[in-house]
Amino acid sequence: MKRDYDDIVKTLFGILDEMLEEAPELDEDTDLLEDLGLDSLAVMRLVEAVEDEFDLAIPLNVLADVRTIKDFAGQLQKMLEEK
Amino acid sequence: MDITPTHNTVPLCNGDFRSLAEALDYAASGRTGYNFYDGRGRLATVLPYSQLRSEAQKLAAKLLATGAEPGGRVAVIADTHPDFMRVFYACQYAGLVPVPLPATMFLGGRDAYVGQIRRLLCDCQAAIAMSPAGFLPFLLEAAEGLELLFVGQIADLDGVDASQVKIASAPRCETAYLQYTSGSTRYPRGVIITQKAVMHNLSSIIRVGIKVQDGDRCMSWLPFYHDMGLVGMVLAPMASQMSVDYLNTRDFAMRPRLWLNLISQNQSTISFGPPFGYELCVRRIREPEVGRFNLACWRVAGIGAEIIRPEPLRQFARILNSCGFDSRAFMPCYGMAECSLAVSFMPLGHGLWVDKVKGGDFTDLNREFLPVVDNAVEDGEQINSFVVCGCPLPGYEVEIRDDQGNVLPERHCGSLFVRGDSVMEGYFGKEEETREVLSADGWLDTGDMAYMLDGNLVITGRQKDLIIINGRNIWPQDLEFIAEQQPEVRTGDASAFSINGRDGSEKAVLVVQCRGLDVNAYSDLAHRLHGLVKKEMGIECLVELVPRNTLPRTTSGKLSRSGARSGFMARHTGSKASLSETLYSFPEISAQAI
Repeated sequence: MKRDYDDIVKTLFGILDEMLEEAPELDEDTDLLEDLGLDSLAVMRLVEAVEDEFDLAIPLNVLADVRTIKDFAGQLQKMLEEK
Repeated sequence: MDITPTHNTVPLCNGDFRSLAEALDYAASGRTGYNFYDGRGRLATVLPYSQLRSEAQKLAAKLLATGAEPGGRVAVIADTHPDFMRVFYACQYAGLVPVPLPATMFLGGRDAYVGQIRRLLCDCQAAIAMSPAGFLPFLLEAAEGLELLFVGQIADLDGVDASQVKIASAPRCETAYLQYTSGSTRYPRGVIITQKAVMHNLSSIIRVGIKVQDGDRCMSWLPFYHDMGLVGMVLAPMASQMSVDYLNTRDFAMRPRLWLNLISQNQSTISFGPPFGYELCVRRIREPEVGRFNLACWRVAGIGAEIIRPEPLRQFARILNSCGFDSRAFMPCYGMAECSLAVSFMPLGHGLWVDKVKGGDFTDLNREFLPVVDNAVEDGEQINSFVVCGCPLPGYEVEIRDDQGNVLPERHCGSLFVRGDSVMEGYFGKEEETREVLSADGWLDTGDMAYMLDGNLVITGRQKDLIIINGRNIWPQDLEFIAEQQPEVRTGDASAFSINGRDGSEKAVLVVQCRGLDVNAYSDLAHRLHGLVKKEMGIECLVELVPRNTLPRTTSGKLSRSGARSGFMARHTGSKASLSETLYSFPEISAQAI
């Protein structure tokens, strides 16, 4: 299924809202570490949820350049297009 | 595609080989081998020992064709991937020294990871650096400007003509591999392990520790760059011709139930993990799905690599009892990279043996631990429970010493020293650090605190100052280094340690002294440090900024981490509730005071 960028961002918002007990206002520039305070286990839970949602396997190295929701959505879009 | 079978066609040979290459030669005569699963638990690659041997020998010739000299180091990113096996064993045939490098990655952690790999490449003076495709961009960046004979993945060597290279058939290189300790990423130490040491340790593990028998099969998600993952779950199965099923550590962390699924599905009998691995299962497995597992086959559930707390393990056993897990399968053990891997194992089938003792601070030297008899505990008396780690393996001498070097009697806690054939040669290129821990007559200072109980080791405290968060070792100097890199912070003005949170888990704390900052600058620095620690180490860290001269120093002028910890606790006693819930704890000092 082809998903456009906005759709991906919206899905990420949904996953994070569900994951975080007190989710702050999310936007594309929300920094996953500094603003949301995800530790390495929380990151694993996020990746798991995203993999299930998009039916993808996200390689570890993709995460190296991800800081914000925008970064993550961009990487996901690229992976979905190559799929 | 089928997994390699559990039952072999050649007789079991219990690790009695002179070298890893000789061990693989024998394993290759059977039909067992390594199997790799993907993140969904689907079989991805099957690598029988016979195929591994022939691929490794071909690769060995190509590695030598790059011009590598005997004993040259081949750094290899130790992702859970068949290429790691090919490179590691190719080095064994080529007489080169493989050096497994970590394959860890945090969100936004590119720079930190590349920096770490570069430091390791320099530290081991690598001649060749290799990686599976996924990590190659990082390796290439890390190796930029370094003088290496070759950097790349195995496929990049396809065109190399190795027809002129002769592979010697005699024992090739005295050093089997370099193993970086799980120590500081900033100040790495590569343990030199000889063929003799690792073969001795493997033989003890296989014969005495897990007593391998026909029908055994291993399952592992432990990283290949840690001693328990490499020696315990890569080399030991190969040296006893067992089949192994692998899951990437990352995939286990994401979907812990895959561990139990694969054991059930392939009827594995041996699997090891740190206590944290068992705890993760307890946290993530739901009651209704337990029926899907079939764990009666699991005869050795090894536990090591961290101080073992009994409660999460008991919970694990309780939850999984109905699907056949037998708590007697638990096998606590103790070891370290400096001893190849294993020092002691509990006897098979014994399960957890918990020693309850009276007393408070259990890192005191030379204090006697009196056992609690018949649960008789006086009001207010503090009780500690320690998991017994079993008898030292044959060939080890063990001493518990006080700070004067005197050997202490039973039940007296002190520093643990060991000596034996599995102990390392030293740290690569680090004579001084080697002398600090390894005496001329072969005694290794483990850095751990322990007491003896009827010939068994009981570990009470781990290496000084080490912080363990979610099963990962964090070295305080790495956190302090991050602080000292900030323009506002001077060298020696940061101190890191851990405290116990309300739920009993450890929390990292970084106390930094600084001067002359206004409130905004103060908050900016605290937030920046918090973010940097998360990015570089992947952990949550309490950051406290304090005025200059707050952090206590030792008589030699060094910062005292235990002193910094006491000061922190004193400042925050009474406000514990907010401590474990907030990101930062700001002391109530006015901006002027800073």
